[in-house]
Amino acid sequence: MSDYDFDRLNVLLAEDSPFIRSLLINSLKVLGVGNVYALEHGGDAINFLQQVKNEPMKVGVQQIDIVISNWDMSPVDGMMFLRWVRRHKDSPDRFVPFVMITSYTEPERVLQAREMGVTEMLAKPFTIKNIGEKLTSIIERPRQFVHTKDYFGPDRRRQRVNISGPDRRVLNDKSEGVEVIRG
Amino acid sequence: MANKPVIVRFYRFQNRLREKTAGLGGGKAAISEEALEAAQQALSKMSEDYPDWVSGLIAKLQEQHGRCVDTPEDRRDCFEAINHMAHDMKGQGGTFGYPLITAFADSLYGFTSGSSDFADNRVELVKSHIDSMRAVIRGRVSGDGGEIGKKLTDSLNDAIEKYSS
Repeated sequence: MSDYDFDRLNVLLAEDSPFIRSLLINSLKVLGVGNVYALEHGGDAINFLQQVKNEPMKVGVQQIDIVISNWDMSPVDGMMFLRWVRRHKDSPDRFVPFVMITSYTEPERVLQAREMGVTEMLAKPFTIKNIGEKLTSIIERPRQFVHTKDYFGPDRRRQRVNISGPDRRVLNDKSEGVEVIRG
Repeated sequence: MANKPVIVRFYRFQNRLREKTAGLGGGKAAISEEALEAAQQALSKMSEDYPDWVSGLIAKLQEQHGRCVDTPEDRRDCFEAINHMAHDMKGQGGTFGYPLITAFADSLYGFTSGSSDFADNRVELVKSHIDSMRAVIRGRVSGDGGEIGKKLTDSLNDAIEKYSS
């Protein structure tokens, strides 16, 4: 088994608390992440992503590989930021893995983030092991993206269930109205 | 033939992130154990600095409170500054083992948010919060603080009741 090399990884971090921000930057750097771009809230992060799209040479980064964002920030919080990343026409990459950090772990809050297309949730207080697990999941188990009239984001089904017996799902890849885009 | 309406689109991409971090070979890979260990140590080290960091913020809160007393005409600005600091503090106490800091900061944040009442009573209430937080840090009251924690919480609640009426 070899070790990941995170040296070429570009991570965007949006976190308003200076203490947690420096803690996360430090942790990611020690894990070997090459570039961490840290911003104070969702608004600054959106501006940065717009720059990545419009003037990549100027900001010195072509693509953000992973976004990590706190939920509770002002004026632009993590949910508004996630919505922008997934839905806005100016978003440079609507498919980018998005990790939401939150101390709100009530099921309805988690569900709310899931419906907005979050990739992973990182609960506070977190450990390095937790961060490592999220990174591993993003790298090893990426999910297909699903676009319907009321959802855009990673497939909300994580489990692969082996069906014994006939497949009675209403839609499969060959059904009418289903389009599979590969890239 | 007319195009059928699309009900759902699936996007399936090559795993470029894996290629970027684990190479094109496709062999098994994981985060290096040494890196995990080093990062956990760095995190623990920083957590130890947390009480000092909070002490710094409490001192700044104290300054703002002093300004409220000395120059009542500045109270709006002071309350805004206090509100901002309280927000910073409430988000992280729990992460570093001081949930009482989070609870007290949350309370301070709550009553300084969007209020236009800057009466002397409110200024006193700010003081009560600062005193409670200082007691938590001075006594290194981590976790729920047991008996001491309960006493601190009760006395802050008493103050809230006294100055809110």
